[in-house]
Amino acid sequence: MLVNLSIIFVLASLAILVAQRFKYCSIPLLILLGIFLGPNAPEFSRANLGLIKNSESIELLSELGVLFLLFYLGLEFSISQVVQNSKTIIKGGSIFTGMNFFRGLVLGWVFFHSWPYALVVAGITTVSSSAMVTKLLVEAKRTANPETELILGMMVYEDIFMAFFLSFLSGYLLAQNSSWLASATGGLVVLVFLALVFFLGRRLGAFFDRLLSMRSAEAFVVIAFTFLLLSANLAEAARISEAVGALLLGLILAETSHAKKLIQMFTPFRDLFGAIFFLSFGMQIDYQQFFSVFDITVWAVVFTIGGNLLAGWLGAWACGYKGAAAANIACSLIARGEFAIIVAGLAASAGMAGMLQPFAALYVLILALVSPLFMKRSKTLYNFFVRLRELVNKPRGIST
Amino acid sequence: MGNIKEAELPGLGKKYQAELESGERMVVVIYDEGHRELFYFPPEENEPACSVTLTDQEARQIGSIIGGAFYQPKMLEKLETAIAELRIEWLKIAPGAPIAGKSIGELGLRKNLNVTVIAVIEEERKGKKRTTINPGPGFVFSPGQTVVVAGKAGSIEQFQEMVTGKGE
Repeated sequence: MLVNLSIIFVLASLAILVAQRFKYCSIPLLILLGIFLGPNAPEFSRANLGLIKNSESIELLSELGVLFLLFYLGLEFSISQVVQNSKTIIKGGSIFTGMNFFRGLVLGWVFFHSWPYALVVAGITTVSSSAMVTKLLVEAKRTANPETELILGMMVYEDIFMAFFLSFLSGYLLAQNSSWLASATGGLVVLVFLALVFFLGRRLGAFFDRLLSMRSAEAFVVIAFTFLLLSANLAEAARISEAVGALLLGLILAETSHAKKLIQMFTPFRDLFGAIFFLSFGMQIDYQQFFSVFDITVWAVVFTIGGNLLAGWLGAWACGYKGAAAANIACSLIARGEFAIIVAGLAASAGMAGMLQPFAALYVLILALVSPLFMKRSKTLYNFFVRLRELVNKPRGIST
Repeated sequence: MGNIKEAELPGLGKKYQAELESGERMVVVIYDEGHRELFYFPPEENEPACSVTLTDQEARQIGSIIGGAFYQPKMLEKLETAIAELRIEWLKIAPGAPIAGKSIGELGLRKNLNVTVIAVIEEERKGKKRTTINPGPGFVFSPGQTVVVAGKAGSIEQFQEMVTGKGE
């Protein structure tokens, strides 16, 4: 068992090192490794590339990976950051995320003609990857630009949106075998539950504050991890997804005075087990399925980029950014990553396996390749747009 | 010095933006991982012209160099030190200044103006300088001397007029 685990971690380390070398996010590489070296690896007459075997231990680690990813999302969830310059971020974020979500729903409906599928596709395609976008921003030396504040603010908004969306989706998917109305109520119940936790968070936070106030780091980390497992179990018992349980616990603990310490202590866990989650997601995918989802993925990519450019530009314009800065905003938020995979994983655990996972993987991979180009060439794109506008405006100028 | 704006960069760190007197902008980004990045924006520009990345250690060292911990600029001809309310100034007596030819006691500097003469530097022949520390009330001022004087800002300004201004 340890041999298999060692192989997995050696491969994951290699992927992360390569990603670091090219100053790039490791998520797409980890998925690729899972696809091409996992149990569904291509077989040749002489060699079998399938180095990694699916095992219970890997499944467990990847499950923990999701818990940590969502626990962290909840912990980092600070409303104060949004409230600080709330008006612009809420305005820009609502326009941007709202348009993207609507575009995702339409795409999903056109592809699959079913509401659960439409919701999952919307979940996969709506929210950009904070991990990738921040890496790209640092790489493009744009962290100090004035418009970057709005870009990062929009991503905080997207995170908040995702917290609510994931809760709704998990409730919806678990009740989906019954009628349309029942599943929608299932989603709403979880959503109301989340809102309740959100507003009672401070009370509950005070309770947890006392429970966790201890000097010893050992006690702190073990007890916090126990809470994480318990909340995941509790959520499962309440017929919500475990991931949402972790998210809720994160939200509650974010209100305690230990939030910073928790983030510091659990970031390594998130990185460690998150890597296995992305790798194991790739392992579930047979690369031959790529051919059957290729056309819808390409359409999704095209519409994501187009929709994103439009939504980003409108959002920027509503917040008072014009010209090259607005183009930068529109071109920055194209990468998709962790959330797309989490949503696809959630769909798989709700029994919606098949097309959606290879679609999500291929979609993330293509956008991972394309998004840096947009980030770097936003100026070229803007100049092209300006010239286009001049061409359109000129004849009108002559006639008047 | 213009204002420094502070902004949160969620997921990255913090940003400090300084508007310099020259109209240029300098931005310091402190990343959560610990390193710093400095950006230079030319006037009226929204894209940085250049940037440099420092590790935490380097940033601390360079920060203290800029702060003047290792070396402070040489005193210029007119030294102005302000510590809380106290000011110490080096003033050169102009020819025909109101105090020229009068003694410290005659002027009643301590009583009337609330300033104290700490020292007087006189230039002798061959460029040699003679310093009189804590001159007594009988000391007579003459043009060309440099007076080192301590007092509150308002009093120093009044005294400055008598030293440099053209008298009656």
